[in-house]
Amino acid sequence: MSRIILEAREVRYRYAGGREAIKGISFHMRRGEKIALVGPNGAGKSTLLQMFNGMIRPTSGTMLFDNEPIQYDTSSLRRLRKRVGYVLQNADRQIIAPTVYQDVAFGPANLGYNETAIRQAVALALRQVGLVGFERRPPHQLSGGEKKRVAIAGVLAMDPDVLVFDEPTSGLDPSGSEDLMELLDELNHDGKTIVISTHDVELAYPWAERAILLADGQIIKEDVPDVAFGNPTYVRMAHLSVPTLLELSSELAKRGFAIPGRKPRSVLDMVHIIESHLHGSCSPAAPGTITVCNVDDTETSCIPPWVEARPGIVVGAMGTRAKQCAAQEQVALEFTYGVIDKCILRALRGQDSLILTTGSMVGRVAARVEAYCTESGNRVGMAGLNISEQSPATGISDGAMKKDDPYGGKP
Amino acid sequence: MIETHLDSAAQQSALRYINTGTKLILALGSLILCLISPSPVVPLISGIVLSLVLLIPGRTSPRIYAEVLLGPAIFTVMSIVVLLFLLGGGDVIWRFNPVPWINLAITSGSLRQSMLVLCRVFGCSISLFFIVLTTPVTDLFDGMKRIGIPIELIDLMMITYRYIFIVCAQAVEIFQAQVMRLGYSRPVEAVRSFSMLCGMLFISSWNAGEDLVRAMDCRCYDGIFPSLDFAEPMQMRSLIPVILYLAGLGGLLLAMTAGGAL
Repeated sequence: MSRIILEAREVRYRYAGGREAIKGISFHMRRGEKIALVGPNGAGKSTLLQMFNGMIRPTSGTMLFDNEPIQYDTSSLRRLRKRVGYVLQNADRQIIAPTVYQDVAFGPANLGYNETAIRQAVALALRQVGLVGFERRPPHQLSGGEKKRVAIAGVLAMDPDVLVFDEPTSGLDPSGSEDLMELLDELNHDGKTIVISTHDVELAYPWAERAILLADGQIIKEDVPDVAFGNPTYVRMAHLSVPTLLELSSELAKRGFAIPGRKPRSVLDMVHIIESHLHGSCSPAAPGTITVCNVDDTETSCIPPWVEARPGIVVGAMGTRAKQCAAQEQVALEFTYGVIDKCILRALRGQDSLILTTGSMVGRVAARVEAYCTESGNRVGMAGLNISEQSPATGISDGAMKKDDPYGGKP
Repeated sequence: MIETHLDSAAQQSALRYINTGTKLILALGSLILCLISPSPVVPLISGIVLSLVLLIPGRTSPRIYAEVLLGPAIFTVMSIVVLLFLLGGGDVIWRFNPVPWINLAITSGSLRQSMLVLCRVFGCSISLFFIVLTTPVTDLFDGMKRIGIPIELIDLMMITYRYIFIVCAQAVEIFQAQVMRLGYSRPVEAVRSFSMLCGMLFISSWNAGEDLVRAMDCRCYDGIFPSLDFAEPMQMRSLIPVILYLAGLGGLLLAMTAGGAL
């Protein structure tokens, strides 16, 4: 099966009023990618996104899905929309049914699922977005973040391959935005291709694997984020601003704080660059330990006493189920977004932390810590928290790892 | 806003998870008995009993219940005052001559008729509020589907219900924006602002309608609007007390009718 899932070839779109919103755009996206379409208001982001699931037909040019040109007859569009889910900017406009259950069931019911399959699809989608128990709630009684999650669940219930989000964090508070971006990461980790449109460069820069800068209906630059956002000319042409991390990195580079060929994508990267120049390394004599707890395999009631027995330890949660588990067990969370990097930063200060996560994400924690240790040459300890002694995911037991084992957590 | 309060109260009612059919039998049965009763006693008892059921086992907030009753109560009292002077028959109880050529009198007949109307309105209103405060509209849609109301009509009602709150929220936002810019400071301004509010609401509703079609298309709309289908089964432990209560109320009504209504 082709790696390219969606492709645009020289597409143009002109609105009925005569304004040309898309002026000859070509690009492609691969399966499992995280792509950010970044541009100012009126750049044509939403128009382009609506072409992905056939809501808008290009005036000229071709849109391809799975290397096949998109057909615009009713049955082809139904097949396409089952595989390309679209989440509107305004969740209130997307939620059409009077209860959460009915709204999430809308897609599966129209795809002809039987009653059992509908219930299963709804239950799974609500579980993925952390809204179990909300089935009978009317949408007008939900918060903005919850409405957004209902809108996402409505699309997830159709099990699409590609998820398209138009301004996913608009109208959300910073905490809600962080939770949502974490959810997008989780979905991407589960194999979904994710495309978002945004004008928030601070959001897009650390999140995306590839950024497409749009302005006035044209692509200004398409590349990895540090290249796309790293050139002030492109950024200026797209009426955007350089992300703070890149700007800071650029200023520090002028003062001799730079690692050639490498630009920071996170605070952790930035700290590494500065510490490397100041001390040659940022690893203390006794680095802290990151303990990973797989909530799917652990008796969660044991977590609070474990935390209480270790004064000074902080807890972070990755993934919706882990956050729900923390809320249920009344474990105070210090980190809910960018958890691994924040815990590595703590470990580099010699402080311990606990990451609550789910089975599929345990490997991701280990991989990230390993990648950091390999790249930086620093040492960070990792251990698995498992009350029943052995963690199936990491294959390590509580306290079994040495603190200086850089590959802790890897089987 | 009162419509939001009502919906929240129904969602939070302890009686919510009783079968909708059982609650409808109780409410509609009480309503019919109140309407046909020739005596104020039956509607009065029905109103008091249903109010107690709402407040004690139903755990409806007394403040919300009082708020809900206030509107109909004011309207009813005003109507009863008019009826007291409008109806006649029997002895004059109280006479009032504000000016020589206007003669206002309350008679025993008008008092009896007015009390009957007052109690009927009281009993019937509370029967309806019983449903409103214990059964969310979404559960009623499910009940409607079960009794065979055309599905197209129910789909339309569900979409309308969903959008009532969105349109209301937009109306409030537009109104507040106008008030902040002194849109209602003078009568002429108020008329102009109100007409603008209506126009803006129409346009935004039109846009919302277009977005609705888009949102439905995005999810492969093929004429199916899923129903909730979470209806609680009808249970004897709630149905039997309802039937016994209605039978008792019906018996009292018959006794009153046979013995000559009060």
